[in-house]
Amino acid sequence: MGLGAAAVMLPSTLSAVNFRETNKSAFEGPKSHTVDDAMKELYGTSKTTVGKVKLKAPDIAENGAVVPLQVSSDLAGKTVAIFQDANPESLVAVYTVPADGIIDYKLRIKMAKTGTVTAVVQDGTTLFSASKMVKVTAGGCGG
Amino acid sequence: MAKKTRIKAKEKKGITTVKALSKHAMLSYAEAKSQKKEANFITSIVATVDDKVVYEVSTSQFLSKDPFMQFKFKGANKGKTLVFTWTDLKGTKRTDKAKIK
Repeated sequence: MGLGAAAVMLPSTLSAVNFRETNKSAFEGPKSHTVDDAMKELYGTSKTTVGKVKLKAPDIAENGAVVPLQVSSDLAGKTVAIFQDANPESLVAVYTVPADGIIDYKLRIKMAKTGTVTAVVQDGTTLFSASKMVKVTAGGCGG
Repeated sequence: MAKKTRIKAKEKKGITTVKALSKHAMLSYAEAKSQKKEANFITSIVATVDDKVVYEVSTSQFLSKDPFMQFKFKGANKGKTLVFTWTDLKGTKRTDKAKIK
């Protein structure tokens, strides 16, 4: 009962798109393990144009449990997605950029080992991306 | 579990910068297994001002524990209230408010 009530209540939130529901396969399951596959599940393609996106990340993260990232772009993108290839599943977060939003996001993520972080900004039908290798000296995923 | 999110919202030259620090264990599946706990993490966050969405993100298990987020948006004035809501895997919701300064 409780669960059903919660499910009914969910659509009444202001959330436009919950990517965990619409693109669940990009977050979990057999197609979520590599950046390429997850990107295909999310956007239908893994072809990206490098550039126009700034990704700030440390060269070396002493603690993989807290890797600070910053993604920014001047593009009028609709969505921003962050991937990495160090964890079992590659998709970290998908932002929906609202009308008044500015693409300048900071967040902290966990990385189990050294890997490459990729930020993708969707502008129309084109995907712009930036990647950065982060060297992790102590894993943060409790593995 | 659901503790207050610390929020700071500042408006400058029409651009509001928000820093938010949520309290959440963010247990990924691998971590939960090794600690013999149930995985649970924030799956979506929405922030609004005057019922207008200014920030929206679907997140995964790989955000750090007690996730920190910073974002910017245009078009809000000082004194308005920012409403910040997260939902986790178990359906727990937590809404916190902060005045834009």
